[in-house]
Amino acid sequence: MTNDPYKVLGVSRSASDDDIKKAYRNLAKKYHPDQYEDNPLKDVASEKMEEINAAYDAIMNERRGSADQGFSGFGPGSGTNGHAFDNNRVRNLIQSGSITAAEQILDGVAVGQRDAEWHFLRASVYYRRGWLNEAYSGFATAANMEPGNREYAAAFRNMQNQQNGGMAGNPYQRKDPSSMSGCDCCTSLCIADCCCECLGGDLIPCC
Amino acid sequence: MFGYVKAFKPYMRMFEYEAYRGVYCSVCKGLSEKYGFMTRLTLSYDSAFLGLWELSMTDTVIKTCKKRCPLHPVRKTVCLCTDKGLELTCAASVMLTYHKLRDDLSDKGFGKKLIAAVLLPFFSSARKKAGRLYPDMDKKLAKAMKEQGRIEKERTASIDKAAHPTGAMMSAVFSPLGRDREHRELLSRFGYLLGRYVYLCDALDDLEGDVKSGSYNPLCVMFYNDNDNVTARKKAKKYCTDSVMLTLGELAEVYTKLQPVKHKDIIDNVIYLGLKNSFSEITGKDRHNDK
Repeated sequence: MTNDPYKVLGVSRSASDDDIKKAYRNLAKKYHPDQYEDNPLKDVASEKMEEINAAYDAIMNERRGSADQGFSGFGPGSGTNGHAFDNNRVRNLIQSGSITAAEQILDGVAVGQRDAEWHFLRASVYYRRGWLNEAYSGFATAANMEPGNREYAAAFRNMQNQQNGGMAGNPYQRKDPSSMSGCDCCTSLCIADCCCECLGGDLIPCC
Repeated sequence: MFGYVKAFKPYMRMFEYEAYRGVYCSVCKGLSEKYGFMTRLTLSYDSAFLGLWELSMTDTVIKTCKKRCPLHPVRKTVCLCTDKGLELTCAASVMLTYHKLRDDLSDKGFGKKLIAAVLLPFFSSARKKAGRLYPDMDKKLAKAMKEQGRIEKERTASIDKAAHPTGAMMSAVFSPLGRDREHRELLSRFGYLLGRYVYLCDALDDLEGDVKSGSYNPLCVMFYNDNDNVTARKKAKKYCTDSVMLTLGELAEVYTKLQPVKHKDIIDNVIYLGLKNSFSEITGKDRHNDK
């Protein structure tokens, strides 16, 4: 599924920044959605455009990142909220449905720099794709790595709930005979007994 | 198709059951009228579910009509129909069956191979006809089948990856029903998750046979690594149940956003009761073997 950003732009890994910019501009001209107004290929073109944008960003981030580290010698660069990647950009990409682009950026993050946010976003990508088992374990990892984070915990809880058989909008939930537990039954009886006693009668004579 | 997507009858009201049967009958009728008598032989209630969706999307008035059924030659059966007929359901049903037969021909036992070889000629001409009506769906299905073949060769241990082609197929079948882009996307996800559910059911259902024959099954690759088959089966069952529950939970999540106008009660029954019931029929099979 993941494409090498260099392959997407059709340049070699050793290409200079200028070459990459040039290749990006040429492709962007070719696939710009404005050229495909009223054309059945419009969707394909805009998808391709997103892919090109993401590839360009990925390469530039990677190069800038290594340059930053070269100069300062420590830590991820500014503007990434302390993560090894631009998490806001990835969040926006996921929100807008550009799953492949988000995946490309995430997969470019070195294994050692993958924090709770990374696992959460990676799981969100899987979730959007419908790969629910991967999503479940990703949300679990994120929630474990950063127990105080409500967003991670909520995402994980939602899936745990589903795994236990929860289905949103289920009209049969109450009618399902197996959901009537012994506890409910006893509580109802006790309440009925109290009501009867209030009115002077008694449903359960011993209490 | 597979037969896992069906309603749970004990919770159906009489008129719902009649309507459900009516849709089934009209899919059957439509298949034989459009694609020839042989295509109706492989019909299952899965297609009726798609038919329900197609009917719930059309604005035309739904009529009932009485037609003769070759299985009950004396009594006429009630069909639900519209002016257009269940065009998409019939086409999708033919195409899906065609691909399933092709699949059976390549990797199943002798009996199934024979049936597939006999039926396939009828379906390949029918599939061509259906493909002309829905070329996009036809292309997507063929692509998914190719991917399925590749995954089987690779023997991947990831159930997400293994279920992806089936999900993609059902997604291609459901999405053309949508009104606009947003609606199509929801239906596409709905279809994907339904396909995923079907794949998971099929994987657990066939597990025993696949272990014996050595055919590819992701559950087999994941759990049957040593000789302890009893523990392996228990683990596979637990894992598959968890995955199915996740899938159904998410399916319900999309479904609440879709809210079909017509036949909602019947579709509700299938989604909230029927699917769980089909799965528990599979897991219940070895209940007496467990002890």
